[in-house]
Amino acid sequence: MSALTAATEASVPKAAAAHLRIRQLGKRFGSNTVLRDLALSVEQGEFVSLLGPSGCGKTTLLRLIAGLMLPDTGTITIGDRDLTRTPPHKRNVGVVFQNYALFPHLTVAENVGFGLRNRKMAAAERKRRVAEALELVRMQEFAERSVTVLSGGQQQRIAVARAIVVEPAILLLDEPFSALDRKLRETMQIELRHILRNLGITSIFVTHDQDEALVMSDRIAVMNQGQIEHFGPPGDIYTNPKSLFVLEFVGQSTRLPGKVLQTITGRVEVETPLGHIRAPGSYLPGSRVVVAARPEAITLGEGPAGEFNTIKATLTDIVYLGAKTQLHFHGAAQDEAIQVDVARLPIGGLAPGAELSLRWRIADTMLFPAP
Amino acid sequence: MPVLARLFAGLMLFLVLVFLLAPIAIVIPISFSPSTVFSFPPTGFSLRWYENIRNADGIIKALWLSTQIAALSTAVSLVLGTLCAIAIVRGAIPGARLVSTFMISPLMIPGLVLGIAFLHAAREVGLRDGYIPLLLAHVVVTMPFIMRTVLASLALFDFTMVDAARMLGCAYPAALWRVLVPNILPGFVSGALFAFIVSFDNYPVSIFLVDVHTKTLPIQLLNQLEMSPDPTLAAVATVMIVLTILALFACDRLVGLRRMAAV
Ligand SMILES: Nc1ncnc2c1ncn2[C@@H]1O[C@H](COP(=O)(O)OP(=O)(O)OP(=O)(O)O)[C@@H](O)[C@H]1O
Ligand SMILES: [Mg+2]
Repeated sequence: MSALTAATEASVPKAAAAHLRIRQLGKRFGSNTVLRDLALSVEQGEFVSLLGPSGCGKTTLLRLIAGLMLPDTGTITIGDRDLTRTPPHKRNVGVVFQNYALFPHLTVAENVGFGLRNRKMAAAERKRRVAEALELVRMQEFAERSVTVLSGGQQQRIAVARAIVVEPAILLLDEPFSALDRKLRETMQIELRHILRNLGITSIFVTHDQDEALVMSDRIAVMNQGQIEHFGPPGDIYTNPKSLFVLEFVGQSTRLPGKVLQTITGRVEVETPLGHIRAPGSYLPGSRVVVAARPEAITLGEGPAGEFNTIKATLTDIVYLGAKTQLHFHGAAQDEAIQVDVARLPIGGLAPGAELSLRWRIADTMLFPAP
Repeated sequence: MPVLARLFAGLMLFLVLVFLLAPIAIVIPISFSPSTVFSFPPTGFSLRWYENIRNADGIIKALWLSTQIAALSTAVSLVLGTLCAIAIVRGAIPGARLVSTFMISPLMIPGLVLGIAFLHAAREVGLRDGYIPLLLAHVVVTMPFIMRTVLASLALFDFTMVDAARMLGCAYPAALWRVLVPNILPGFVSGALFAFIVSFDNYPVSIFLVDVHTKTLPIQLLNQLEMSPDPTLAAVATVMIVLTILALFACDRLVGLRRMAAV
């Protein structure tokens, strides 16, 4: 039995020590500092997404890990090997490129076997491993085809097979789904996650699609301007974002600027254009802050004052989205946009223009220093 | 009047082909004629002029020298030109546009000027032997043809493929060899074919650099024409026509003329 199938059946080993460790990584292009003092530790078998806006340095970080670029400062280690200066062909790092970068002059099987040939593997063994990898991505019948006649989704599978057949210590994927249509993308997300989990390959996945990151990852690293602002499990990123940037970048939210009035026993009272809002935390009186709540945390109607924040707002729009309905409100000053997600409209319906009470738990209120 | 227009276009094409090809085609029957002067139509059939190629003074030697110079200069231009084109396309050097224009500029300089320049340069650095200056000059002359086709091919080449090959265990040179070279082969072949032909029949540059012992074929043929103007020349020309056609067929089998024409 080969290592590939063995890994499929074995449970994923979770070593305590970090598998990939990046310290103080810095990279500049001329006067443009793309990465600064970046740190990241990924565990064996973990699936980590790098999520961030365009130009924040995701591809650059990936290319540094791959060795296709060298950093100005910092170190990169995988296992106990310091790879900071190792050339790419000696790193044992696999990459699935955004445009797949399949070799058009070779067949599907030759593409997948490319890395094995470089490892001086015997032809018979190579053939078997290629067949196994193709089976894993359900492309066995295409072995002898030219890669140029494959569809986008099929090319994607071949690119994945080609990268994992050599059993890399770590697999890097740079927006591998961006060229696929939405339906295919969702299928491929689930399929790829399944394959990589089963093989137990440590993977780093770049995306700027937050849903994709939430669906696929064990942990998400949200990047902004060359640094990682928040690194944690999807639930943590969503419910407990470390910065206003992370809050705004992942999911939707209602945000109100305000000034701290006082802090009493771990609760901050903030003066906002829509009245006094309370949130867990502790700030000096007079600090400028932003209070925020997720749309699904807000419900219609008033609640007991000891436990809830309550505001009044005017309904402007009702957007029906199937599983949920989005209600858009604005406050008295007209410029605070408030979004509420409800599973079902109240009996009797709602009409735009109505002034309603909205409430959410104090515990669900998030608080950030103003930018 | 599309019918009339098509007829007219067909006629024009026919006339152009006759005008271009007739002088070339006429050489072939002349080479098989027994007459000692160029006469058309031929009065009989003989292979004496083909036999005479061997006897005629220096033609075989010149043919061999020209083949060597053309093959070597093409090979050198291919390797250096490709590396230079990669640097230009990847923007790894400052002033890449300038460099690319510079490499193609010999195309725009009259051969006579290049020839004189090379003669002086060779003298300056003390190169007396004709072979090396001749080879260097031909590298310069063939370079633009390689650069043009290779640059065009590289513009369409996706360099992430090279990155992919490196991640799969190829050192950089091996990655170029196994991924870049096969994918821009049509560009190489058409560039090399042009370069070889340009070197092979170069007259204006070579004339300044040849000496008694190193004479390239075009120069030797012209000498021959002055000394004994018989159909030996037609025989040599016929051989070259046949070789050219064979080369085109070989290229077609290798990469396809359609793909070569596309770059
Ligand atoms: N080779 C390079 N030379 C100069 N600047 C570069 C180079 N590569 C990237 N940059 C710059 O580095 C910054 C980050 O680029 P990078 O490609 O890492 O962003 P990204 O997060 O992957 O963005 P996207 O989501 O659009 O792919 C950008 O400002 C880009 O212009
Ligand atoms: Mg990118």
